[in-house]
Amino acid sequence: MRLRYFDNAATSWPKPRSVQTAVSEFFRRGGGNPGRSGHVKAIEAGRTVLEARELLARLFNNDDPSHIVFTKNCTEALNLAIFGLLKPGDQVVTTSMEHNSVLRPLKFLEDSGVRVCIAEADSQGRVSPESIAEAVISETALVVVTHASNVCGTITDIESIGRCCRERGVALLVDAAQTAGCVPIDVKQTEVDFLAFSGHKGFLGPQGTGGLYIRDPDRLQPLMRGGTGSLSDREEQPEFLPDRFESGTLNVYGLAGLRAGIAYISKNGVENIQKHDLRLLRILLEELSGESKITLYGPCDGTGQTGVLSLNVQDRSPSEVGEALEKRFGILTRVGLHCAPRAHRTLNTFPHGTVRLSWGIFTTERDVLAVARALKSLAVRH
Amino acid sequence: MWKKRGQKEDLSKLEGVVTFFGSHHALMAEKVLKNNGFKAVLIPGPRAISPNCGVALRFAFEAGDQIKLILERNFVTYESIHLYPH
Repeated sequence: MRLRYFDNAATSWPKPRSVQTAVSEFFRRGGGNPGRSGHVKAIEAGRTVLEARELLARLFNNDDPSHIVFTKNCTEALNLAIFGLLKPGDQVVTTSMEHNSVLRPLKFLEDSGVRVCIAEADSQGRVSPESIAEAVISETALVVVTHASNVCGTITDIESIGRCCRERGVALLVDAAQTAGCVPIDVKQTEVDFLAFSGHKGFLGPQGTGGLYIRDPDRLQPLMRGGTGSLSDREEQPEFLPDRFESGTLNVYGLAGLRAGIAYISKNGVENIQKHDLRLLRILLEELSGESKITLYGPCDGTGQTGVLSLNVQDRSPSEVGEALEKRFGILTRVGLHCAPRAHRTLNTFPHGTVRLSWGIFTTERDVLAVARALKSLAVRH
Repeated sequence: MWKKRGQKEDLSKLEGVVTFFGSHHALMAEKVLKNNGFKAVLIPGPRAISPNCGVALRFAFEAGDQIKLILERNFVTYESIHLYPH
């Protein structure tokens, strides 16, 4: 049975051949430690990292690539921004659509005297910029919003929220785990202060890669301190970028792949990838919206959404549907709460969750039609 | 991307050295200088002139003043420029 991969929101698959080649080439011919020596292998490794940084900077419309720092994933990038900025007595505003990678660090910080205010999204996962503006008070140090829900794909209006934050002098951290590489992001236009991204989702890179765009490094303390290959005669952490936030050897094998993944994305154009994702969404919506036994969540109007669709089949648990999709149709999805319990409460799908379909650049119309057929057959048979 | 076997840089006329605080800056410097038509070679950082970064950049002495200008125009941070006359 042919497998159809519908779990791209967790990690993208397949990866382009160029990504696979880049990783194996770094194993075979690279292998140096970037910034640690002046020999040819160390310099090549440094170039690999620099080029990944430059491609990201270009994609996010940021002039200085040193303001992109690498982490092992988007969660670490979010933790870096959250723990690096918030202090006891601060207030932080976030939304009910956040992933646990935002909510858990904030929950932890509540015990050390950080006040957390959660702006509720509507039942389709939409966060109104007004609800964020209303929650901002004089103690607000940070606003954290997801660019798109990992549960239902609803895209947040980060441009309006960015303006609101700028007017009030509050820093904005955007979780772009679901959008980087799939939805155009311009850090100048949106006035984002920190943008956390994943390397292994929309960017098609290997797992173990991610990063944070940092507008103003002075606002942030590093999460880790240690060897950077620079200022080696001192025991203090360097203040300059990117070394201030990149202690210890980077995952250069992963970043070699990430560089190739971003090059692939850039060549195809993020706008075109978004168009492709929306076209497949509309096909799915057209196929499924008339089905009385299938409930769809999120905006479902064919816009304002990423390549993610959450649904339930009447009288069947998400795990039952997920299992049937895999065993009988070879369709791989993710079921349950998707590490976002509060988002599921907002969508009224807590505690059982949903079946989440998530597609990507390599998903075809034939794939989504096969999913629609499979779901219809599961709904009818019951 | 990888240097072919036997392909060597001619260092005979490179008499200046730029030192950096971090390797990111050294790599940026190499890129902008090459983009501006200057020959620049990354070398292991001489400990005698800087303890900071493992990588330094050698360039032709004749280009001395322009190197500074290009680095500054492109906002590349460097530690210092050392010139060694013939």
